[in-house]
Amino acid sequence: MNNLKANIIKNWIPKESKVIDFGCGDGSLLKNLIDHKGVHGYGVEIDHAKIQECVYRGISVIEKDIDEGIDDFKSSSFDVAIMASSIQCLKEPHIALRKMLHLSKQCIVTLPNLGFWKCRIDLALGRMPVTPNLPSSWYETKNLHLCTIRDFEGLCESEGFVINERFYLNDKGAKNILSSAMPNAFASEGVYLLARK
Amino acid sequence: MKTSSSLIKFDNGLDLACGARLDSFELMVETYGELNKDKSNGILICHAFSGNHHAAGISEDKKDIGWWDNIIGPGKAVDTNKYFVVCSNNLGGCSGSSGPLSTNPISKKPYGKDFPAVSVVDWVNSQKQLSNYFEIKKWHMVLGGSLGGMQALQWSISFPESLNKAGIFAAAAKSSTQNIAMNEVGREAIRKDKNFMDGDYLLHDVKPKNGLKTARMLGHITYSSEGIMDEKFGRNFQDIKSKIDKGIDYQVENYLQYKGEKFSDIFDANSYILMTKAMDGYDASYQTDGDLEQALSPVKAKLLLVGFDSDWLYPPKRSKEIQLAAMNANVACSCVILEGKQGHDSFLFASDRYVNILKAFIEAE
Repeated sequence: MNNLKANIIKNWIPKESKVIDFGCGDGSLLKNLIDHKGVHGYGVEIDHAKIQECVYRGISVIEKDIDEGIDDFKSSSFDVAIMASSIQCLKEPHIALRKMLHLSKQCIVTLPNLGFWKCRIDLALGRMPVTPNLPSSWYETKNLHLCTIRDFEGLCESEGFVINERFYLNDKGAKNILSSAMPNAFASEGVYLLARK
Repeated sequence: MKTSSSLIKFDNGLDLACGARLDSFELMVETYGELNKDKSNGILICHAFSGNHHAAGISEDKKDIGWWDNIIGPGKAVDTNKYFVVCSNNLGGCSGSSGPLSTNPISKKPYGKDFPAVSVVDWVNSQKQLSNYFEIKKWHMVLGGSLGGMQALQWSISFPESLNKAGIFAAAAKSSTQNIAMNEVGREAIRKDKNFMDGDYLLHDVKPKNGLKTARMLGHITYSSEGIMDEKFGRNFQDIKSKIDKGIDYQVENYLQYKGEKFSDIFDANSYILMTKAMDGYDASYQTDGDLEQALSPVKAKLLLVGFDSDWLYPPKRSKEIQLAAMNANVACSCVILEGKQGHDSFLFASDRYVNILKAFIEAE
């Protein structure tokens, strides 16, 4: 995760809050949040090597497939749930989001934007997009439900999720005028802070 | 690694959960590695139901290999080059610690069935006295599998300040109904052996070997998995020369007969009953009216829960239950479910992933 995105997320996390990171990877974001924000952090991960890395970093990690895993935590409550770059890999993203906002007051979601101009060019040239945010070829990607910024924000509106904060980043992971002004075409990634209505 | 055991006497005695008191008791103990100057590198190993203090290395007297030797030793997951590792035979056991085979100071005869009921909490309390003996204020880690995992969990509840980490493997916060049922079949086999003599067999100089053997044979099935039994024995016939009993047809029968026979030579029947009763009786949430989350709220140690996918005795969901309650109580805890084809016994085997996770947990800050 690049520094700007990590900083955006860090700023949204209240001090000493209870955080769950779905698809926590090697635990670096949680480690950052524990060290700088004093959070009670828990990660959910399925990749064996990444789980081991989390354990080695002293991060609490739970081995679980997110698709089945969110339900297991329905008796728990968190201040913030994070789903970074994984929502499009889930079988039912909209239901996952509902469930996340059920167990957590706020939810941070980052997602790749299929409307990004480079993706559009790839598609116009008749091939599936491959970009820094969508690095895998069509046959090996884990992405099941790619969407555009407009699609995602439309879903939030129809589901009644409130977007409290949002950042649009270009494919260098930075903010610029174009990505902010016309995110659906010029943002490579959206970073959202969602809440229940 | 050659190891020797020593018998340590505790004159402060112990008040047991059942209400009885032992005015003094002894624990048979093995240690590996060196305790460092600030006594911060201690790791306590808690053994499972039929285990004992001989966890690693080759014993000087009997030349047998410790039950967790593939996990504990120089350069292994629990590295004795770095850590001072301690394992004691549980109170009530039959490998040298005070138990049914010890002499009752009042009657001057072996306790036998009159040795008081001992619980997981009592074991942890006795091990706390062992920590004091070594002047270890805080264990780097307490760990164990199965009934040993229950002790590690209880350590983190009973003495939150006295350990940094707890490793709880193939265990549960309480025994399930099915666990209790299986144990009762084992106990019944022992009780119905004509040599059991209502638990007074020592006074008659006999042993209820047949009952113990049957109990162990059943036990072995529950510690194993369908898959590993298929893989190891299949439906292969036992060759005639090595049949233990003429009624045997299949290899798996011969194996169970052999294991049961061996166990009945070395284990004490009263200890068997006492240990299984302690296992059945354990409930980490006993003092909080079944609320595990509340029971875990004082825990300060980081917990590592490991379940094994083929374990049907203490299946992964038991580990997940502890993880969930710990997380809800804001306790730092990780939970991994490993592939382990040996069923419940998987915690005894050093699979690559198990070793790596364990190492990472021990070394982590």
